[in-house]
Amino acid sequence: MTILVKPRALFVGLILLCVLAIWLSLALGPVSLPLFDTLRAALRLVGVPIAPDGLEQAELILGQIRLPRTLLGLAVGGVLALSGVAMQGLFRNPLADPGLVGVSSGAALGAAIAIVGGSVFGGLPESFGPYLLSLCAFLGGLGVTALVYRLGRRNGQTNVATMLLAGIALTALAGSAVGLFTYLADDATLRTLTFWNLGSLNGASYSRLWPLLLISAGVALWLPRRAKALNALLLGESEAGHLGIDVERLKRELVFCTALGVGAAVAAAGMIGFVGLVVPHLVRLLAGPDHRVLLPASVLAGASLLLFADLVARLALAPAELPIGIVTAFIGAPFFLYLLLRGRA
Amino acid sequence: MRLSTRVAALCVGLFVSHHAAAAELPQRWVSAGGALSEWISALGGESKLVGVDTTSQHPESLKALPSIGYQRQLSAEGILSLRPQILVGTEEVGPPPVLSQVRSAGVQVELFSAQPDLPTLQGNLQHLGKLLGAEDQASQVFQIYQRQLDQQKIRVTRAQLKEKSPGVLLLLGHAGGKPLIAGKDTAADWLLQQAGGHNLATHTGYKPFSVESLVSLDPEMLVFADRALTGDAARAALFKENPILSSTRAAKDGRVMELDPTLLVGGLGPRLPAALEKLSDAFYPGSAGQ
Repeated sequence: MTILVKPRALFVGLILLCVLAIWLSLALGPVSLPLFDTLRAALRLVGVPIAPDGLEQAELILGQIRLPRTLLGLAVGGVLALSGVAMQGLFRNPLADPGLVGVSSGAALGAAIAIVGGSVFGGLPESFGPYLLSLCAFLGGLGVTALVYRLGRRNGQTNVATMLLAGIALTALAGSAVGLFTYLADDATLRTLTFWNLGSLNGASYSRLWPLLLISAGVALWLPRRAKALNALLLGESEAGHLGIDVERLKRELVFCTALGVGAAVAAAGMIGFVGLVVPHLVRLLAGPDHRVLLPASVLAGASLLLFADLVARLALAPAELPIGIVTAFIGAPFFLYLLLRGRA
Repeated sequence: MRLSTRVAALCVGLFVSHHAAAAELPQRWVSAGGALSEWISALGGESKLVGVDTTSQHPESLKALPSIGYQRQLSAEGILSLRPQILVGTEEVGPPPVLSQVRSAGVQVELFSAQPDLPTLQGNLQHLGKLLGAEDQASQVFQIYQRQLDQQKIRVTRAQLKEKSPGVLLLLGHAGGKPLIAGKDTAADWLLQQAGGHNLATHTGYKPFSVESLVSLDPEMLVFADRALTGDAARAALFKENPILSSTRAAKDGRVMELDPTLLVGGLGPRLPAALEKLSDAFYPGSAGQ
């Protein structure tokens, strides 16, 4: 595979892109704030003492709506892309995505239980109700992934092919369970379920943000340390073993990080497809398959892509909003096709 | 220039909203709920609406207003960009963090119950009347509404003395395809009962039906609500997609009628009495128009 961009140039470009995305995400929205007000409110939020006259609106929109949303987008986009790299490395297959080990379908099942069952167990305390969905999604993702991993193990060895098939089987099983809940759902819960499956960064609040930020920071710091091991794994499992890599441990870590990261992302923002599959591809097409570049670059690219997609989601139909899952696929897929076709020519 | 006009507008908006909250009634309304928007219009508040959700389809003129999306997936900034002073909705609106964001921006948020019963409606109308400054009108509207529903009850009771109440199925579909049958605990079931019909479906919620069980129930009357088509086109599509329906008694006797699907969401709306009258006229053809 030819390298189109040198790693240093790629990182400079991606960091600039990410900063641009953050800036636009903070500066643009259905409420048109004057640029100067946005700047002053931003300065006030970081603690610079400026007279607050006439800034209440700007500060509220920036601090309570746009900033948590931007942070959520960064964390979700980054961790989804990173998990995509981990899965494609683990399965040594560029078609792998985080859904393969069952984390997405497990989270969907958890969400369906929470949404449909939540109306049955209506007596939950007010303060807990809103978190039930996130918690169930997270636990569902983690649970199904653990099961897939367990099924793939035999005699202390993890067979990746078995795991893949177990993942497909459990995804189908979880899918039918979700279908059953869909059947049981009434009209209102059905629509909630549908929208959840399309993902959204809407309604981000700090209380929901912290767990995700911690987890995604942990995953983003840990996985790049395993870049060399992932590179070795590209050669094959036994080859990596001969190179001194503890392959079993690596597989365990990859699956665990993916389950944790994607589980948390999905719990916070619903299902957002496409990012995990295609962002690693994009980066690989640009900079080659070296995981030392691929891992950190995918974080930046995933985060930027999701922020841009969110900008479209909130501006295209303002004052209403598009589910972001629609946008990620809509802008990402044609771009991906373009890169593919250009590579072939 | 354009930017500074916006700043000015924003400042004026903020200034006005701060002062208005204390002394005056809210003048810029956003409504997230079909029946609520209808009642606001019925109480003369349509000119105060600056945005509505996707369930607000009546009166027709509301469709020209900016749409804030689906009531359960509202966007805080989207709503705030309309500079509303008040957001009204049913208890279904959300997500909750968005509501608290809207609240903290100084917008009054008022939630109403969508329970389909008269005491709830009375409470809702009083509340709306107070907020719109049309309390007398609200109680008047409610009295008329109550009278209409009372008359409806009398009409049904009278008709039932003369005729047997028909077995009915209500089919909710999209361009005729795979209709869902309305069972217990649905607004549709309530509607059929109020009109004096006997709902043959005994399941809960809206569920797809096998054609066989549909035929075995042999309804005397079919009511269909189509989300995509209206009138003869909807009727034709329904029978084309489900040819088995033609063998039911209802189809043979030509007792198939249409219902506006928007009547089935969001609680009791102003168009309900008229729809009920039409339904019971069709259920009891011998007593129609009395």
